[in-house]
Amino acid sequence: MTASANGSHKPAHTKPAAKPGRKVRFKVKRCDGPGKISRWETFEVPIEPGSNVISCLQWIAAHPVTTEGVRTTPVVWDANCLEEVCGACTMVINGKVRQSCSALIDAYAPNPGDEITLEPMTKFPVIRDLWVDRSRAFKNLTRVRAWVPIDGTYNLGAGPRERPNDQAVRYVLSTCMTCGCCMEACPQFNIEPDEAAWDTSFAGAHAISQARLFNMHGTGAQLKGERLDALMGPGGITDCGNAQNCVKVCPKEIPLTESIAAVGRSATIHALAKWFTGP
Amino acid sequence: MAETTGFLERHHFLLRRLHSLSGVAPIGVFLLFHLTTNASIVWGRLGGGGAPGAVKTFQHEVNFIHSLPALLLIEIFGLWLPILFHSVLGIIYAVSGRPNVGHYPYPGNRRYTLQRLSGYVGVLFIFYHVATLRWHWTFLIPGGTEWTAEYAASTMGAVLRGGAAGMTIAGLLVSAFYLLGVSLLVFHLANGLWTAAITWGLTISAQAQRRWGQVCFVIGGLLMLGAWSAVIGFATINHTVARGAEEGVHAPEPTPVLTPGMAEAGTLRDEH
Repeated sequence: MTASANGSHKPAHTKPAAKPGRKVRFKVKRCDGPGKISRWETFEVPIEPGSNVISCLQWIAAHPVTTEGVRTTPVVWDANCLEEVCGACTMVINGKVRQSCSALIDAYAPNPGDEITLEPMTKFPVIRDLWVDRSRAFKNLTRVRAWVPIDGTYNLGAGPRERPNDQAVRYVLSTCMTCGCCMEACPQFNIEPDEAAWDTSFAGAHAISQARLFNMHGTGAQLKGERLDALMGPGGITDCGNAQNCVKVCPKEIPLTESIAAVGRSATIHALAKWFTGP
Repeated sequence: MAETTGFLERHHFLLRRLHSLSGVAPIGVFLLFHLTTNASIVWGRLGGGGAPGAVKTFQHEVNFIHSLPALLLIEIFGLWLPILFHSVLGIIYAVSGRPNVGHYPYPGNRRYTLQRLSGYVGVLFIFYHVATLRWHWTFLIPGGTEWTAEYAASTMGAVLRGGAAGMTIAGLLVSAFYLLGVSLLVFHLANGLWTAAITWGLTISAQAQRRWGQVCFVIGGLLMLGAWSAVIGFATINHTVARGAEEGVHAPEPTPVLTPGMAEAGTLRDEH
């Protein structure tokens, strides 16, 4: 009323503002350990301005009582940096994969009684509740030799100079944190309980992109042939189905589909070169 | 089974790239010519001869195809084996994926799922199409019409309608299956051209992929137009008119045609 009396206007909001002091329901998929049957539990959490999924999980840990009033165990989750650069807290929120630390409640559930579902990623084995084992994602980085070879018995000196244009392309590729989003959303990457089959099942967009990152590095390019050979086998570049979900869900906005196409081109050239000049 | 897996793994890259290549050529190139030929049942009317003219145009094209030397060898090695190869490997690759459009309903993901669905339905359709028309498994055709290359358009119309006369209920089902089959296969080719460019590394940047996607959309749209006009054109053809036009192509005697003898004997002299 005072605003209209003054003749001024309130700033126009594109979205209705989140209601302060409201409570939001969290439907959490729980699992007591590897191989155990999952179940759903619901918690009602009071929301403070700026709350995110992690802060709500912390509140649940302090008040582990379901909406039915049953006292339960605190929900287990993995987290580390709390600023979306480590990838540890990746989980499936309202059916889509993302980091829970950067999932703000005001955006997901602006009204009292809104519900948010939390599930562990489905492509990795569950350790407990929302905590999964991403070992396979890291194993796939070793498959494509995602490093610069500098180990030796003497100082190799400075490497070749990097070109600024290449650096600009490589910078965003280097922000990959192996969080698992691209693999979780990929219809070609599926859970593989048999560890022996990890070497021949799809490596994932992140591993292909990291192969491109290190192939573009002056010293890293020494292993280019080995990386391409690894990616031309079963579970490599050819197993991509071009659904392109990876680039949509990547929290770091890495151009994963461009990396896949670029490695596809390298593989084409590598295969032809091997056929015509190789042993 | 173990040996099969071993063979697929040893030649993984080559087989995957041959799978991609076979979809473009010979299969994609064949589909382009096949649909263009069949669509002449509609665009053949532009020649001025109306519906009978289109039937004649189409019959001439069929006659040309059947005049090719070693047609059976071309069919086996240029079409049937490549399609079998593309289908078998395609199904092996497709069943390894777990479509998830429910959770991630992005356009690219829908195309991924439709590419696999269109592959499955397309294999069924191509088998039905080739078995009934080329291998003459007429027991699978309502009405039991046998398609013959000599009466290509008229028998095709009867195949699609469930008989030489008007459209039957069973014929409606066959025609609908044809429309569905060709539509899915045209999508499969257009989307396959788009993904093949990524697979081989022709298009890399997101912008390049979008540009090539627009080209594939236009190619697919034109092929879709050809496919639909072919099916609808054959399904609505008048059997008597088509039969008459085809007889005209095979037996030119009744129609006045200028031969050297006739010219000497009559036509030229009349001008004096």
